[in-house]
Amino acid sequence: MKMRGFGILAVLLAAAFLVLPGTQALAEEPITLGCPLSTAYLYGWDADRAIRLAVDEINAAGGVNVGGVKRPFKVEVMDTRDLEPGVPVSEALLAVEKLILEKKADFLVGGPVRSEAALAAMSLLSKHKKVSIFTTGFLSPQFHAMVAKDYDKFKYCFRIHGEAVQLVKEIMACFQEIKDKYGLDKVFIMVQDVAHARGGGEVLGKVATGKGWQVLGTEIYPTGTTDFSMGLIKAKKAGAQILNIWMDMPESSILLKQWYDMKVPALPFGSTLAAAEQPGFWKATEGKGEYTLCNVVNAGNAPSDATPWTMKFYDAYAKKWGVEPEGLGSSSSYMAVYVLKDAIERAGSLDSEKVLAELEKTDLMGVYGRIRFDPKNHQVIPSFDPKEGAVGSILQWQAGKRVVVFPKSIAKGEIQLPPWMKK
Amino acid sequence: MDILIYGIINSIALALMALGFALVYGISRVPNFAHGAIYVLSGFITWTFLRGLGLNYALSIVISLVLMGVLGALLYQFVLIRVRGMAISEIIASYAIGLAILEGLRWGGFKGMSYTLPVFVEGSVMIGGIPIDFQRIVVVGFGALIVLGLWAFTHFTRIGLALRGMAQDERAALMLGIDSDLMAVVAMAIGAMLAGLAGVLLLPLGNIVVESGYNVLILAIAVCIVGGLGSWMGAVLAAFLIGFAQILTVVYLGSHYQMVVALLAIIFTLILKPSGLFGMQKELEERV
Repeated sequence: MKMRGFGILAVLLAAAFLVLPGTQALAEEPITLGCPLSTAYLYGWDADRAIRLAVDEINAAGGVNVGGVKRPFKVEVMDTRDLEPGVPVSEALLAVEKLILEKKADFLVGGPVRSEAALAAMSLLSKHKKVSIFTTGFLSPQFHAMVAKDYDKFKYCFRIHGEAVQLVKEIMACFQEIKDKYGLDKVFIMVQDVAHARGGGEVLGKVATGKGWQVLGTEIYPTGTTDFSMGLIKAKKAGAQILNIWMDMPESSILLKQWYDMKVPALPFGSTLAAAEQPGFWKATEGKGEYTLCNVVNAGNAPSDATPWTMKFYDAYAKKWGVEPEGLGSSSSYMAVYVLKDAIERAGSLDSEKVLAELEKTDLMGVYGRIRFDPKNHQVIPSFDPKEGAVGSILQWQAGKRVVVFPKSIAKGEIQLPPWMKK
Repeated sequence: MDILIYGIINSIALALMALGFALVYGISRVPNFAHGAIYVLSGFITWTFLRGLGLNYALSIVISLVLMGVLGALLYQFVLIRVRGMAISEIIASYAIGLAILEGLRWGGFKGMSYTLPVFVEGSVMIGGIPIDFQRIVVVGFGALIVLGLWAFTHFTRIGLALRGMAQDERAALMLGIDSDLMAVVAMAIGAMLAGLAGVLLLPLGNIVVESGYNVLILAIAVCIVGGLGSWMGAVLAAFLIGFAQILTVVYLGSHYQMVVALLAIIFTLILKPSGLFGMQKELEERV
């Protein structure tokens, strides 16, 4: 009986020792991550979920070592509403300021998501000297141009996901593969009336023309458009073979339904196509979105074996949230938390100047390849090879699944044409 | 050819969106700013019965329309009747209800692209080399039927004649024994059902999204202002004017300017002929 009592005591003591480090970290003052996100929209909620996943994992492992003290992360999300049509940029700025002043955020991770709002927020972040990592939706190349031009002012801002110019490079490389395989060379551009999409469409048009593609026209749609039929007829009449789509509104799934119903003989290629990024796209379009290609910006947002961490993240996200990583902000938002943890631990402090200096030295093999920032402009360094830099990902919907088809280094399948395009 | 075909389709879609608003205003003089919200709500309710409860599609639509009718009647009986005759209060009250419905739906998780209704008939047909999906043909057919049905209802039924009497002169109608509040309740119920019907016909062409509610309201107001507030036939004519103007704009200027057409139509009508095309009563007031 006595021996049994000792046994129970030993087990309890062992359990207490196992739990203690985590409990200790949680007892320390948390490091507050302010997350300004447009939570009603894909690029907001996917980032929110990915950040929470990373934070839970880090806290469960004991937290962040800040100069020898283990401290947990705490997440404060505020809705910027910047992806909603008609909502002014000032709403997003207000959310950012509230996170800094009211919620006392130590760092900002996430948005604002819409490029217009994120660009406007950069001055605010500089004013408060808050280190901020943009992780979702903010694709405008103006970001790193601004940081490079006025480093001292904007040095607190980092962007950990791909941007429009890199996207265009990837898309053009993928276009070339399509041209080589199927002989297609006529493209029609359809963009949403927002900065990143207009800019991206314009750049792609110029680059494609320069590379010998026939750009047959560009159609711009206001956010919230629900009828694309006339634009599709224009594209069909012009003889388009690829529809290059830049839209982050959920209504873009309607475009694909209408494309299918009209049997437009052009391959839909979403440079940014929020609807097609989501696992629910198949159900939402009742399978009509099959063959849609879609750039999900970074690996990890669709299943692939880019790095050993890719599927580990993918499966953990699916397990925690009951849905696979949904949009272009998933893997980058998740990685931002780990990159920040890494920088804080090396800095041994939460001081903005020390942490940003360490962020510039980041060199981490992450979910979508080697994560490094260009120290001059704070943009994550991209690559087609995950061993060299942050690798992108283009998927195609095939038989109800998201199949990564580009770049070749991580592809899981080949690009296919819809039956009505086959000669 | 594409301008003609899609011009007709777009015009009838606009007429469908606006008829309910025009009917309610014509009879009760209440501008129902919850119109767009009811349009979207009918889509979500149909979706809930169809996908959530697994009911038959036709039955889901019927239940949804009946519920919209009841909702319209309740809105009038319990909210709008109290502010009737006070134009600004009517607008604020109805807009607030619309806002509460739409933002309530968003808050309740009805967001994203997963809310879709199936088309009535799958497939498409080529007419003059232009592809048209069958659902749009269904919209045109139903749209024409609704306009004709509404005309017959208001010309050959007791309730319809009473509604017309109210629309023409409420005091005279009261003297003839027509219960104006009851008729306003009926008008609001029919108006809400028409908004719901427009929703279940047009939403299968895309997704059910909360934002549509705001767009539909703007389009309905544009059509009614151009046609003349309160004039049903004016609304139909205005729908064709704006509908074709939108398609011509898309073809010759770009999709980007499509929504501007409706807004410009409102501005020009208010500057040049505030009574609209068929707003006879208002025109008499303007002369006086």
